[in-house]
Amino acid sequence: MIGELLQRSAQAEGPAADGLAAARRRRGFLFMGLGIVTVLVIGGLTTPSFLTFENLLVVIRAASITGIIALGMSYITISGNLFALSAEELAILAACIFAFLMRDGYGLALALTATLIFAGASGAIQGGVISLGGDPIITTLAFGALFRGIASLVSDNKNILLGTKAAEWLGTGRPFGVPTQSWAFIILTLVAWFVLQRTRFGRQLTLIGANRLAAKASGLRVGQASVVALTLFGVCCGLAGISAAAQFGLAVANLFSGLTIDVIAAVLVGGIPLRGGQGSPVQAALGAVFIALLQNFMLLHTFTTGQRMLVIGSLVALATVGFHLLQKRQE
Amino acid sequence: MTSRETFYDLLIRAAFMVAVYVVFAAMLPSYHTLRGAGAILDGAVLIGLTALGIGITMIAGEFDLSVGSLAAVIGVFTINLIIAGMSVVPAIAIAVLAAAAFGALQGFVIALTGINSLVFTIGTLIGLRGFALIISDENSVTIPIPRLGETDFLGVKYLGLFSPLTILMFVVFLVVHLFLRYTLWGREIFAIGGGRTEARAAGVPIMRAMVISFALSGALAGLAGAVSSVRLASATPLGFDTLLLSAVTACLIGGIALDGGKGTVLGILIGLFTMRFLVGGVASLGAPYWLQSLAIGALLIFILVVQLGAMILRERAAHSGLGELSPP
Repeated sequence: MIGELLQRSAQAEGPAADGLAAARRRRGFLFMGLGIVTVLVIGGLTTPSFLTFENLLVVIRAASITGIIALGMSYITISGNLFALSAEELAILAACIFAFLMRDGYGLALALTATLIFAGASGAIQGGVISLGGDPIITTLAFGALFRGIASLVSDNKNILLGTKAAEWLGTGRPFGVPTQSWAFIILTLVAWFVLQRTRFGRQLTLIGANRLAAKASGLRVGQASVVALTLFGVCCGLAGISAAAQFGLAVANLFSGLTIDVIAAVLVGGIPLRGGQGSPVQAALGAVFIALLQNFMLLHTFTTGQRMLVIGSLVALATVGFHLLQKRQE
Repeated sequence: MTSRETFYDLLIRAAFMVAVYVVFAAMLPSYHTLRGAGAILDGAVLIGLTALGIGITMIAGEFDLSVGSLAAVIGVFTINLIIAGMSVVPAIAIAVLAAAAFGALQGFVIALTGINSLVFTIGTLIGLRGFALIISDENSVTIPIPRLGETDFLGVKYLGLFSPLTILMFVVFLVVHLFLRYTLWGREIFAIGGGRTEARAAGVPIMRAMVISFALSGALAGLAGAVSSVRLASATPLGFDTLLLSAVTACLIGGIALDGGKGTVLGILIGLFTMRFLVGGVASLGAPYWLQSLAIGALLIFILVVQLGAMILRERAAHSGLGELSPP
């Protein structure tokens, strides 16, 4: 379906209506850019090992898993469905299923395809319930609990070892010196940006998020958009799960601790408003990079876990209040 | 919803609760004994207090995601106060006051800026967890062994059934019920949840209702964290991470409406025990602890689907002209 929509690339629908949204988006980028440059400058001046190519690779790699799922999450937010609380659980379940299939010798291609299809379908089911009128927060909270339970069941709450090196490259390879996860992150960011800004589907998704009733009245399939957004999100979680299972050579039901909140933090710090219809996946990606950069800076300065969480939490609270007030003033 | 509809709604939910109890009572001898029932009551305190708090913010049309982190902070804080030499009850009281103050501040900021509470409480959820790690030095904190006797009074059972914490929970539920139903400040919480614009037009002070509902939600999550940490004589900064899920499930089974303005304290109590009967039953049947997540998830999805089905049926009825009894 997306392929077909991609072919029918949409025309811009009048510059005036888009002007304000574009201005807001630019402002989002501006703040993120300023934030990233500030951390880079302060980090570079105070921390000798910070501005090295090796360290920046570490940062990008740390941002990759969060960032990939944040791209999917941004589609959910932009389509007006708040956010999903099941990212961590779905990624864990995908990792367990991938490891399970690899261990039982189904081969890399089959394991990859089956896991991604499963992850996409798990997203689609949640999208289906939401499109019938289920609250996104509660629906994904419920399915998250279910996914975690199934992951524990599949793995018997123990490590599942892949027992083969076939998938190792997916998790540890470094084409041209850059980790595979980071390649995936960069490429997916470009794809997500293109689909949202330059295709009919993306524009419909944004319109549905901006004004559900108007979208419905103009004949757009509102429910379908939720299903597609959640499916893409599911596939992103699946990719994260596969990548982690391949990297560590095992899957276990307590991988990815705290991932969901990290992903939502990236989306919020990136300045995507919760009410939907505004923002770009690139903002979510930049949000993930910014948080990873800040985490790395604090790590090099030997902040404790608690101190780092306190800083990130305050950042999220301040950034969201700031973005909210700016938006209110503009209206 | 008229009071008659509310009554029937609660009756159906109570019947569901009894059904869950009967199913497990048929398989589990412990469900018939006083000791078994006492254990179920004890197991309900932590989730019950938190669910009551979440329920209040949901009635106000808001959502407080930070309860789990706040319970962890207050748990550690209470144990720290006891380690510093304070006796148990004053330590709990001070910690709960601190939680209420934090909740009130949170409600104040949300009301002042008009920011979505989901967004803001994500920030406090992360930050509070960090704070819990800082004040605990990233380790579990425990009441010193020579002073463990001071918490013994919590293990007493009156009539073989009610522990002091169970009684505390029921008293808190009763007080909150009376407050929400019979005081102006309580009614205002329903008003801002039912229709914020109408409430503002009618002169309801949004700020007061928001500060009170978030202060109550904070205080109750704090009380839950404090008493369950004291009961265990230890607190871990990473604890209570699944508290939100259980508390929300109890509220939803109990009929607290997500879009605000609707719900009863009795409903939360019914939802709480429906969940306790199920989760406690699954555990007693010998399922490993991690299957609880599966049970809660399945229960929540079941409730969600039933409510969606009822909503879709009601809409159909309304469209075909049969819905005159409940105009939109």
